[in-house]
Amino acid sequence: MKKLTALLLALALTLSLTACGAPAAQSTQTPAPTPASDPTAAPTPEPTKAPEPDPDVITYPVTVTDQLGRDVVIEAQPERLVSGYYISTSLLIALGLEDKLVGVEAKAASRNIYQLSAPEIIDLPSVGTAKEFDLEGCAALEPDLVILPAKLKDVIPSLEELGIAAIAVNPEDEALLEEAVAILGEATNTVAQAQALLAFHNEQLSALTKDLAGLEAPTVYLASNSALLSCAGPEMYQNDLIEQAGGANAAADITDDYWADVSYEQILAWDPDYIILAADAEYTVESVLEDENLQDCAAVKNGSVFQFPNDVEAWDSPVPSAILGSMWLASILHPEYGASNWQDAVTEYYQTFYGFDAVVGAAAGAEG
Amino acid sequence: MARPAEKRNIALCAAAGILMLAAALASLLVGKYPLSLAALLGGDEGQLRVFLTLRLPRTVMAALGGFALGAAGYVFQTVFRNPLAAPDMIGVSSGASAGAAFAILFLPATAASVTGSAFTGGLLAVGVALGLSALAPGGKNASIVLAGIAVHALAQTALMALKLAADPERQLASIEYWIMGSLNAITLGKIPFYCAVCVVALIGVFLLHRQIVLLSVEEGEARMLGVPVGRMRLLVLVLATLVVASVISVTGVISFIGLLAPHIARLLTKDNRLSTLTLSGLMGGVLLLVADILARSAATSELPVSIFTSLIGAPFLLYLILRGNGGERHAA
Repeated sequence: MKKLTALLLALALTLSLTACGAPAAQSTQTPAPTPASDPTAAPTPEPTKAPEPDPDVITYPVTVTDQLGRDVVIEAQPERLVSGYYISTSLLIALGLEDKLVGVEAKAASRNIYQLSAPEIIDLPSVGTAKEFDLEGCAALEPDLVILPAKLKDVIPSLEELGIAAIAVNPEDEALLEEAVAILGEATNTVAQAQALLAFHNEQLSALTKDLAGLEAPTVYLASNSALLSCAGPEMYQNDLIEQAGGANAAADITDDYWADVSYEQILAWDPDYIILAADAEYTVESVLEDENLQDCAAVKNGSVFQFPNDVEAWDSPVPSAILGSMWLASILHPEYGASNWQDAVTEYYQTFYGFDAVVGAAAGAEG
Repeated sequence: MARPAEKRNIALCAAAGILMLAAALASLLVGKYPLSLAALLGGDEGQLRVFLTLRLPRTVMAALGGFALGAAGYVFQTVFRNPLAAPDMIGVSSGASAGAAFAILFLPATAASVTGSAFTGGLLAVGVALGLSALAPGGKNASIVLAGIAVHALAQTALMALKLAADPERQLASIEYWIMGSLNAITLGKIPFYCAVCVVALIGVFLLHRQIVLLSVEEGEARMLGVPVGRMRLLVLVLATLVVASVISVTGVISFIGLLAPHIARLLTKDNRLSTLTLSGLMGGVLLLVADILARSAATSELPVSIFTSLIGAPFLLYLILRGNGGERHAA
């Protein structure tokens, strides 16, 4: 169901983009943009001096199709942005738009990435959480464009009534994330930067795929933030992450499309080679290693229990830097792949797109 | 009551008992981990460990929990002379839910802290309800029920406030799953204390079965029959609360058994005595065992057990009602 929706959205986006003569959106299937117009070469296009239309420059008004399939007309280049979702906020920073943000989601102070790259964001007014959106507070900020998670779709009609343009993003898997990057790039006139971001992602991904080719895939049990007995099934973004990292999801036969509850018996029956905890899990690697009900599980016997590092972002969720999560996991599952690949990519990514030096542990969560 | 009816009731209880044993046996045999009888008898250590620390405790908890909820439901319905009375009438489930949510938000994330906090929350809510009702003049059933409703509402409000403060991805999901009730996280280490409390309180309830029936008649009459109504009611309610709280603090809220099992029992026995109390418990046990077997095997992941208690129980109850020979006999 999710996949079908994703496909339809991707189709709708591609159609609408070709229709209005804008550059074709990042296809959800092809891995890399065409090298003919290398986006990294021209990160800051100058709109004034181009005699013929530069595909990287948006002429307003522009119509974009958001990830709920809505056509949104943006009259002029948005100068005041509100983001109600940490993934879109992080994305806007990567697109170099942090100065245009006037409001962000609640609990911004808890995101390391803001502290490190754009600390001024933390003091911006909060427009609420994914549960409770502060409509009036948002309107008071007089934004030109509001970016919301698809979860908050109930808010959108009210925003429309107030005459505020709103775009819903739904980066629940890799294809949707790429699509969200393209949509925001177009809506905010940062197409080149958006393409650079996608190019980084795709280059790293193809390099990773090449490096891991032919290696045997160990089984991985990925436990959720809320509990050890809750895991990622094959329909989830995290399943792609495991596979990109050269692993096999132990819970591949689960039919849930969200975090699924399982029993200890189930874990023992799967007997995964690795148990990986989500980045924001409140239970610890130690508690899993000491769990007497799992002493017969291969991962616990071999001490192969790790937690996603959370020094900068939760790399196990579809954040713009998600590829770094796959690379970290690859370095855990395949020691021969090496942690240096991952660390180099982390350094490059945050310097290029966020302008700070990321410091991460060699193998955070590693067990001694 | 004529003798044939009594014989029939004993036969009914025996049949329900056999059914429950069969369900328990099935529960021991069904699960995600491939246990084999040969390996178990052959002394395979890994298999034995899975059986003893996971499979057996889960079955015990389902059997005891179902029995306890059914029996406690009977007690609440009888004492309050209300066919819709359930443990939550005096706040135990909502108190336990608020307690569990509190632990998920503020206490170190261990299974023991959530269970302990839920148990405390359930008892606290009932304690407040009973305390408040004692302040009311007369100490009648009505004032207990009203105090219970007030406490229930307060506990729900606390729960809502806690949910609002919860992190939607981690804590809110945990709270919701806890409230839905499941036996998937039952292990040997978790249950001994709560099982002991439950068994002791259940024994108390069974010893007082005559007094419970007397509480269901008019208060004046009961007093004439020599029952110290106020104190007896308090004792019975505290025991029934302990029974319920000790179960749901381990399993999460399991809906419907407490309401359903006594009705099924009453429609079968057509009286309101020890046999009905026993049969309420046995029907509850069967319901929860079967529901849990389905919860762990119907899908590839674990499902909330409450879905199945209602799904199996409700049609059976309807069948008994439509069969037409069940009367409104909840009041003795």
